[in-house]
Amino acid sequence: MTSPSGDVPRRDALVQMYHVSKSYLPGTFALRDVTLEVNKGEFVFLTGPSGAGKTTLMRLLFAAEKPSEGQIILRGRNIARLGDAAIPRLRRRIGVVFQDFKLLANRTVEENVAIALEVLGRPPREIRRRVFALLKQVGLQHRRHHRPLTLSGGEQQRIALARALAGEPELLLADEPTGNLDSELTLEIMDLIAHASARGTTVMVATHDHSLVERYGRRTLHLEAGHLKEDRPAAGPPR
Amino acid sequence: MSRVGGDLRYFARTALRGLITSPVTTAVSVTTIGVALVLVGAFALLISNMEGLLDRFGDDLRVTAYLEEGLDEAAMSALARRVGTVEGVIEVQVVTKDEALERFQAGVGASTGLLQALEENPLPASLEIHLAESRRTPEGMRVVVEAVDGLPGVSDLAYGQEWVDGYARVVALVRSVGLGVGAVLALATTLIVANTIRLAIFARRDELEILALVGAGRSFVATPFLAEGLIQGAAGGAVALAVLYALFRLALPEIESGLSLLLGLASPEFFDLAAMLRLLGAGGVLGLVGSAAALIQGVRG
Repeated sequence: MTSPSGDVPRRDALVQMYHVSKSYLPGTFALRDVTLEVNKGEFVFLTGPSGAGKTTLMRLLFAAEKPSEGQIILRGRNIARLGDAAIPRLRRRIGVVFQDFKLLANRTVEENVAIALEVLGRPPREIRRRVFALLKQVGLQHRRHHRPLTLSGGEQQRIALARALAGEPELLLADEPTGNLDSELTLEIMDLIAHASARGTTVMVATHDHSLVERYGRRTLHLEAGHLKEDRPAAGPPR
Repeated sequence: MSRVGGDLRYFARTALRGLITSPVTTAVSVTTIGVALVLVGAFALLISNMEGLLDRFGDDLRVTAYLEEGLDEAAMSALARRVGTVEGVIEVQVVTKDEALERFQAGVGASTGLLQALEENPLPASLEIHLAESRRTPEGMRVVVEAVDGLPGVSDLAYGQEWVDGYARVVALVRSVGLGVGAVLALATTLIVANTIRLAIFARRDELEILALVGAGRSFVATPFLAEGLIQGAAGGAVALAVLYALFRLALPEIESGLSLLLGLASPEFFDLAAMLRLLGAGGVLGLVGSAAALIQGVRG
């Protein structure tokens, strides 16, 4: 199989998409003929206006949708052809963060994070230890017995981030993670994501906030009307 | 704690949390299963007591072969030995004319002047034929009667066939109605439980979405709901047992007086331990099947 440029794919590619299209209605495309590669440990921004296909692309990557056409290879495995039973195993290797946090209001902060480790079948003692470490990492260890709705938006997103990182995923997908946050909290969350990237996690962040892209200077994939319009390489470390 | 231990802990915690955080739906499920099992249980109680009554009646059940006049004791004994060889007969007792009269006198009371007025004993000698337990049915009795009927020296046979036939028909009818009603109630309860669990699934769709996001497999998502159904069903069974027992105690005096007037037999009995466990188990199975039905439609991994 060849890369978008026709070269043999690099051995450190984690995500490879080849001529991927997604259509919900006949004749209309949320994504059209997208071909791209993301290497292990890379930090990539996915930009574009609303309706450009950023969310669809992310949903394809964690197998919430199947592509209408094309192949999606994650760590050498074609996830476009995964059976239902194999999808949970794929998702255990991917952390996902959403704009609306997706936290359980009736569980404590600690329980919200623990759920990702319970699914992995980790022993209770290990779960307690790991959850505490994660909450400490995102600065919420003192809030672990609170309910999410009693916390600020930034704190809630930090819980979601801790949950996404709990299983030490190879790939972290963040769909507009700072869309509901003010600029100060936005940087707080982005710094945490950048920190995860620095420790080796491959990161893809969908955003329409150009200031973030400028600030962090990472590789940027720009989508418009479902087409991949631009693949801009990293400009340098955050300013 | 092992993976299995951790999972079990998670399932139990999640199932209990589901039951506690949705008290109304839980109460509806438990009550529905309870009401259905009260009706099914009442039928089962009625049938088991009727069968018990038939068993007790069967202990006293015998065929009486009245003998022709003029048989001497040797002939009666020979006839008794011959009847004793019939399959299903466990004992044959010879009742002479004199013994029959003594029994009659004992039965009606010694003070009666009626018997003293008789010049000779009008009662026939007879053989009392006791049956094996397996023959204490209308069909079993008929086989023995056919074998004894027509033997030389036997003039008539009495065995309360109509009563036994009628009673067996009533038991069969009640059992059929009970099974029919039980099946309809079980189906209705399963559907109601399935709907209740589906509501619970809908109420927790956020949780299911998040579980799916973090990679929970279908069994991991489904097991707490199945456990909830099982607990609700068993609780419904316990409620049904309590209600049935209360009704049984309340209705017992009426039933007892009615039965003693009718048959003079012993008191009706409540379920034994095995039957109680079966009722609890039936509740659990109803809850489990209801949950499974809801999950098949409601959960997508």
